[in-house]
Parts: sequence; structure tokens; C-alpha cells
Amino acid sequence: MSSGSNGARRMVSLLRPSIVDPGVCRSCQETLGRRSYASAAPAATETTSTSASTTPVVKPAYTINAGVVLSRPPQITRDLEPFEKSYYFYQKRLNERLALPFTKYFYFKRGTPADEDWKKKILERRTAARDIGKYNAYDSEAWNDELLLGAKESEPEHQVEMLLQDAESTANATSQDTSKKEEIPRPFPRVTEADKKNDQKSLDRLLSRTLYLLVQSKEGHWKFPSSPVESGETLRLAAERTLAQSAGVNMNTWMVGYHPVGWHAYNPPRAKSDKQTEVEVAGSKIFFLKSRIMAGQADLSVNTQNLKDFKWLSKEELSKYLNTQYYSNIKNMLADR
Amino acid sequence: MAAREPSRFLSRALPRASVPSIRPQGFLSRRNVSDEAPSRRLSDHLSELESASSLSTPVPDSAAQSFDPVARAKARKTQLPRGRYQFRSPKYDRGPLHPHQPPPASDPSSRLFVPGPFSAPRAEQTYDATVAADIMSLCYVHTPPGFTPPPKAPRLREWDDSSPYHKNRVLRGPRGGDVLRLLRKPIKFNNIPEIERITIHSYVNKAATENSSWLHVAGIAVQAISNVRVETFKSKTSVANWGIVPGRDSVAVKAELYGENMYHFLGKLVDVVLPRIKDWEGVKGTSGDSSGNITFGMEPENVALFPEIEVNYDMYPPKMIPGCHITLHTSARTDKDARLLLSAMGIPFYGKIVN
Repeated sequence: MSSGSNGARRMVSLLRPSIVDPGVCRSCQETLGRRSYASAAPAATETTSTSASTTPVVKPAYTINAGVVLSRPPQITRDLEPFEKSYYFYQKRLNERLALPFTKYFYFKRGTPADEDWKKKILERRTAARDIGKYNAYDSEAWNDELLLGAKESEPEHQVEMLLQDAESTANATSQDTSKKEEIPRPFPRVTEADKKNDQKSLDRLLSRTLYLLVQSKEGHWKFPSSPVESGETLRLAAERTLAQSAGVNMNTWMVGYHPVGWHAYNPPRAKSDKQTEVEVAGSKIFFLKSRIMAGQADLSVNTQNLKDFKWLSKEELSKYLNTQYYSNIKNMLADR
Repeated sequence: MAAREPSRFLSRALPRASVPSIRPQGFLSRRNVSDEAPSRRLSDHLSELESASSLSTPVPDSAAQSFDPVARAKARKTQLPRGRYQFRSPKYDRGPLHPHQPPPASDPSSRLFVPGPFSAPRAEQTYDATVAADIMSLCYVHTPPGFTPPPKAPRLREWDDSSPYHKNRVLRGPRGGDVLRLLRKPIKFNNIPEIERITIHSYVNKAATENSSWLHVAGIAVQAISNVRVETFKSKTSVANWGIVPGRDSVAVKAELYGENMYHFLGKLVDVVLPRIKDWEGVKGTSGDSSGNITFGMEPENVALFPEIEVNYDMYPPKMIPGCHITLHTSARTDKDARLLLSAMGIPFYGKIVN
């Protein structure tokens, strides 16, 4: 295995550039070239014969662009479907029917304020559970465990409110100080100010969805931040530079990996030639890297990429702003939620 | 055979619905002459279907408000005998040939039915929406077109046939140890590491040296924090200075968490308990069984930080609250992948990282 001479290897490596396939990217070609000496040798002999006979065909090249899909992950849980709400609620009542009864005497000593409070509450709601409404699982009417039309009991907001009210009333009934009312802070609303005002530049909007940063060029079309990869630059470095040049440095971001998660090819109707290098350009290919924003906000005031506006949009809203072809190419790399 | 295949042009000329499906669909695709009769046309059957769901049609308010199932049941003059509407599952499964078969365990009338799930856990939603996709991008390894990975040596060593006794002998294990490690496959969309189950295990030596109340309290505490019934275990090993004899003393409790319970427990652990532990650096980087399962321990005072125990702290004898070992079983094949997953879910690691 290791008996091959060094000179032979060098000869193979000299011959290797001739097996360049235009369909394979540069880094892949290097990997392929590094592959195995055993398989490289016959390939090399093969191509020397062909390269002598054919002249190299200059295809119009694509410019390689690096794009950044900067996203803010969902901050809160999703809204449940009506079916899910009723299913979970029904399972809770079924559980109440099948579980052993609450052992009151273990948790409440007789004659204590907590015990009195418990007695009052159990008369009201008939069950130990605080979030399943008025329902007695050991009654002769326990079979009537389904909600009627328009009942609020299966709504998560209602259940949270019930739990909090119960905790407040327990605290009020058992505390020594009767003058002070216990107030438990309610959870923040799921719909924020930015949602109400439809402020699409705010990162506080649509908390249960993933938001993506979209920028608008001076010509007026919307896109993910992207720019051509410069020579000697990796895709990841180019993506980081693009982000800094377009949306500013006032963001704490994290690039997810070194590989693109999707790509889009832009083919203009006619291939143009580059003015400086005289090379014909067929179009541009954008390779998108994934990135997450942790803190900060986009700022286009110092951008060097000819951008005039930005928006934070969910997946459905993206389709309204993006070109159809562009959107169909990128939609599968976006999260569902 | 060729004559039976529908023509390409025919299928284009006909409207979509009338083109026969090429894929066989069992007995449904069988066509008889009688199907062509006007009463049995496919289109006639379709026209019988209602275009909209009956649930979407609005119910008149009067009907909704006057509906009172309890009053209706009470207004009935004679009640049905119970046996007519209350099904009771047979107590014993008497085999598949018995005429009285128990319903499946998912049926609420089954004796094996366990209700649930009751919620969509937040930790699970985070995993689905954010973590899984990020892990897939992070673990992607690009193989260029035409690349064939170099062949690997066989995992089990063969015997050189230097002796006639080597014939048909079982293969040898790898050099340097007799354990075959799990094979790590490239992470694709269908094998992204996820948390499979969580085990909470608590070894209470005082249950053997003093009395069984230690074990009862440990069991109740683990049950309270996990929402899962615990199992107790007898000691397998003898510990002389604690006087533990194998097979005699019940010394440990264990709860296995799956699904909803598991994600709720993980959420509580990551967001409530671990941040409140004083001077806790994280899970040791050397932890793990090198096949994707990570274990860490919790001291008794940290177990008492769980909200279920904290609200009800007076009910537990304070000295008897147990410490425990928590094992996070993931579907990752290596500890490195498991650590990637768990740190994304919010569990910190510290110190030397061993893979």
C-alpha cells in the first residue's frame, strides 16, 4: 500500500488539474484531487488522452454570491389548534375520572386556614384540579365530561387565569395580614405592541414564529442580504462580511455551521460580459448561510451595499415580498414555524 | 402486456379524473363492466359527498343554548340498564380465539388506558422549531459528487489461518478492548439526535442501614418531580460498611420519563432548577457512556429546588430528601453529538471535553 514512490505521486498531482469538471466547485475538486492515489492514476491517464484532442470550451461563468439568512427563532410556544385544545382538555377530564382521588387529609391539617380555603373551593369547582372547570369525576353525572359549544374552559389563557386566581385567593385566605391583597403578576401577552401596530422592523413581533431579515435594495427589490464572494475568501467569511456591510455590526449573531443551507441561481435573459475582466457572466448564484440573531437590531444607516430598507418577516410574509422564482428556491430552507 | 398500458396521448386527451390510475390500488382499482352503469359512476359517488365539513356550518344559537345533556338524561322516564351502554373490558386476556376480546389500550374503556398527552411541552417545541434544524446544518459534511469514502477496516478482526483450529472460529473483537462502539452514521434529516428518555435514579443507602422510610421519601420525591411512578430496586452488590447484602435490601428508586413528562422535566430542569444551584459549573465534560447518554448527579439540596418539592417543602422530612442521578438518553451515537444536542437545549458543560 505504502510502497508507491514519491515521484509517481508528484507526477499524478501535476496531471490532476486536467480533470477539472466545471460542474464541481473548487473546494470539492480539491477534495476529489486529494482522494486516493489508486483511483487518481487511471483517471489521470484517461484525461490526458482527451485533453489533447479537445480544445477547452469557455462557458459563461456565474458569479458566486454569499447570502445570509438571518433569523430570530420563536420566543414562545405556538398557538394551539382548536382541535388540540379540546383534545388536551378532554384528556385532562379523562385523567380526572381515572386517577385516584386527591388525598386531602395528607395535604391539609384539619382546622387550618388552608383547610377552610380548600373546603370553600371544592364546593365551588367540585374537583381538585383547578384548570378543568366545574366537574366532579366521581359524581353520577361524571359521564357528562364534554364541553358545550362556546365554553372557554379549553382555552389556555382561561386555564392560566384560573390557576393564578386560585393561587391569589389561597394566598389571601391563608395570610395573617388581611389588609394587603396578594397580586400575582400575569404573564405578558402573546400579542405585542409591535403586532398591534404591525411594525415590521421590530424584533418583538410574531413571537411564536421565526422571523427572517429581508433587505430592500435601492432599485426596490427585496432579498436576503447577499454580496459577491471576493477572491481568497471563504463562503462563511463572505457571509459574515455581507452581514456586517449590510445590516451593521450592532447585532450579536451566530453563524450556524460553515455550509450553505440553500441556493438560488439568477439567470438574466442574456449573458453579459464583465467590463473589467472581459469574461462573459451567465448570471449569479447565491449560496445562503444560516445565522441566528441573539441581540441587537439591524441598522442600514452605514451600509455599503446600496440598501434602503429592511424588514423582519415570517415565512408566509416572505412570499409576498420576494420574487416568485427566488421564493420557490429558498422556501424549503426556512423553518415551518 | 403492452396493449393494456394506457397510451400517453390518450391520458393527455382525457380529463384528469377519468384517466385510470397506473398504480394498482388493491381491489379498488379492479374495474368491472357493471361499474360503467350510470348508477355506479365515480362522478355520481363524488357528487354525493358534501362539499364542506358539517362542523363548519354555524349552529343556530337557540339549538346550542337549549342543549343540556344532563337535563335530557334526567327527563328520561326509564333508564337503560347499565350493561346496555357501559362497556366493561374483560379482566383477563384469554387469547385471540376467545369471543370476548379486550379493546386496544388506546381505547378509554380499556383497562390499560393511560390518559394523555395533556399539553404540547415548550422544550419539545423548541427542539422541533429551532434545535433540530440547527443541528442538521452544523453536522452536515459535504461529499462532492463522485466521492467514495475510503473503505474502512472490518470492525472484527479475522483469524489468520495459521492453525487448522481457526476454521469457523468466531471473529475477534477490536484491539485494545473487547467493546464494539456504536457506529456513527452521518447526520441527515432522518437521524437528527433527539432526547429519547430521561432516567432519574436515586440510591439511598440509609434505606438499608436505618429504616425503609428513607426509601419511601425518596420515591415520593422522585415521583413528585418526574410525574412518573417509581420502581424500587434491591441492591445487586454487597457493601460491607453499610451492611448491604445483595438481593435483600431495597436501596434504590428509579423513574423513566418519556415523551411529554420528559420534556416538561427537562424544561423545569433547564429553566428553573439548574440556574438556581449555587456555584454549579455545569455537567462535567467527561460524563457520558460514549454512546450518547449523559449522566450527572444532583445533591439533595438541589433536588429540593424543584418547584414541586419547593411549594410543598414542609411535607418532606428535610433530611430525607434524596440526591439523584439524572441520565439523559439521546439517540445520538457519540457523546459529542449528544453534548451538542444537550447544550442546544440549555444544559451547560464544563471542563475537559471527552468524546
